[in-house]
Amino acid sequence: MLEIEGLDVFYGDFQVLWDVSLTVGSAEVVAVLGPNGSGKSTVLKAIMGLTAAKRGRITFEGHDLRRVPTHGKVDLGISMVLERRRLFGAMSVQENVLLGAYSCRDKAEIARRLEWVESLFPIIAERRGQEAGRMSGGEQQMVAIARSLMSKPRLLLMDEPFLGLAPRIVHQILDIIRKIHAEGISVVFNEQNVQLSFGLSDRGYLLESGRVVLSGTGDEMLSSDVVRRVYLGG
Amino acid sequence: MTIFLEQIINGIIIGSMYALIGSGIALIYGTMRVLNLAHGEFYMMGGYLVFFLVVAYAVPPWLAIPIAIAAIFVLGMLVQRLTIAYLLPREEWAFATIAATLGLSIFLQNLALILFGEQFQSIPYYLPGVVEIAGLRLPQQRLLMLVVAVITIAIMTFVLAKTRFGWALRATSQDKDAAAVVGIPAARIYTLTFGIAAALGCIAAAMLAPIYAVNPWMGMPVLFKGFVVVILGGLGSFPGAIVGGILLGIVEAVGVQVTSSEWRDVIAFGLMILVIWVRPWGLFGKPR
Repeated sequence: MLEIEGLDVFYGDFQVLWDVSLTVGSAEVVAVLGPNGSGKSTVLKAIMGLTAAKRGRITFEGHDLRRVPTHGKVDLGISMVLERRRLFGAMSVQENVLLGAYSCRDKAEIARRLEWVESLFPIIAERRGQEAGRMSGGEQQMVAIARSLMSKPRLLLMDEPFLGLAPRIVHQILDIIRKIHAEGISVVFNEQNVQLSFGLSDRGYLLESGRVVLSGTGDEMLSSDVVRRVYLGG
Repeated sequence: MTIFLEQIINGIIIGSMYALIGSGIALIYGTMRVLNLAHGEFYMMGGYLVFFLVVAYAVPPWLAIPIAIAAIFVLGMLVQRLTIAYLLPREEWAFATIAATLGLSIFLQNLALILFGEQFQSIPYYLPGVVEIAGLRLPQQRLLMLVVAVITIAIMTFVLAKTRFGWALRATSQDKDAAAVVGIPAARIYTLTFGIAAALGCIAAAMLAPIYAVNPWMGMPVLFKGFVVVILGGLGSFPGAIVGGILLGIVEAVGVQVTSSEWRDVIAFGLMILVIWVRPWGLFGKPR
């Protein structure tokens, strides 16, 4: 459903992605792996249009995503959980979650989505009125995922969903992603930890200095020497 | 004592006008982080529009003022689309928008000078009477200003708190990328916000024009007062600008009563310097 071909991205004069190609199928979980600074986040940001691509093709179900503004991608069925959550800190949990359904004007539909999201994250109903900025990191991540699901996406991009979270919370988030996947939603996430990622994803792409150096299923990649070389510099 | 009380009430009334101007500057700064140096010129153009409609075309004020507000709203959106919207995606947007709005301010002042001349124009009071409440004498015109300001602020507060647009505006001001990712079209929110801010300036102009004169330079002092208000209240805070405006009005009125009217601006900017000194994030802002 998502295809990236020959993607080049620059920050100023500095090229961060080199000829990156990647595909995501329907109801598939794909991991974008790589050490710090390898360009993992940039791939997701470029899909969403938060970072401009210089060259290359990004298509989603036949739509040329480079011609669609960020907010328009939500209407096509793409949603994103930003790195470090980025909640609207001065607003309540409920307001944050409801803002996720901004592009939907049907009140009954919004209520249905809210019920679904609350079933995945009971904390949303429990903490409805709390100021989002005052929650712990793990709780904020739950609200951030809930917010991104309120647009009823078919493709969910998750930028560093496990970053800075306690192991117990990481396991909760892993469970949630499995549930989201079970609902037929495709998920693309990035993460440094290869073992953790393949507990979850069907396939992965390994980035090194902005280039895809390896791709394949979990078993293929875990047994590859390339992974060891990239991470351990061996 | 009565005179003192009258001065305080006058201060609140003028302050409510400062609040309208300051809240426009705060809305623009709060959402797109742009310092609109041409804000006074929307006020000036609003003043001229009301003047021409009421004096030259004899349109009754209750019709002329809404027409002027609508026109300045549209003009504000147009200006945002043609200048700010074009500059914001650039890397050097912070300086570029200051330069562009300053240029626009100078251009509009001189355009008004060429088109309308340098004479000071006056608009007759909309309500000529005087009200007496408990021994206090208040011109109806000034009372009308207060009523208009209260209604405007109430409407704006409702829009920001309860409407879809208000939610989108608050979300965009807090985090532009997060807002875009949930499907909020930031560019459209920016344009609308700019139009609303310009319209708020026009409302103040329509109410103040009968008291002060309409002239090509009327926007400049108002812009500076607007900045004082925004710094008092905390940059980008709408409630802060409302409270800051009324506070400035009262302090000015009392200060002038104690000293003399030449001291008005000294008092205003003295208050601003004091706030920057002891609470640089303003009354409603948060320290960084």
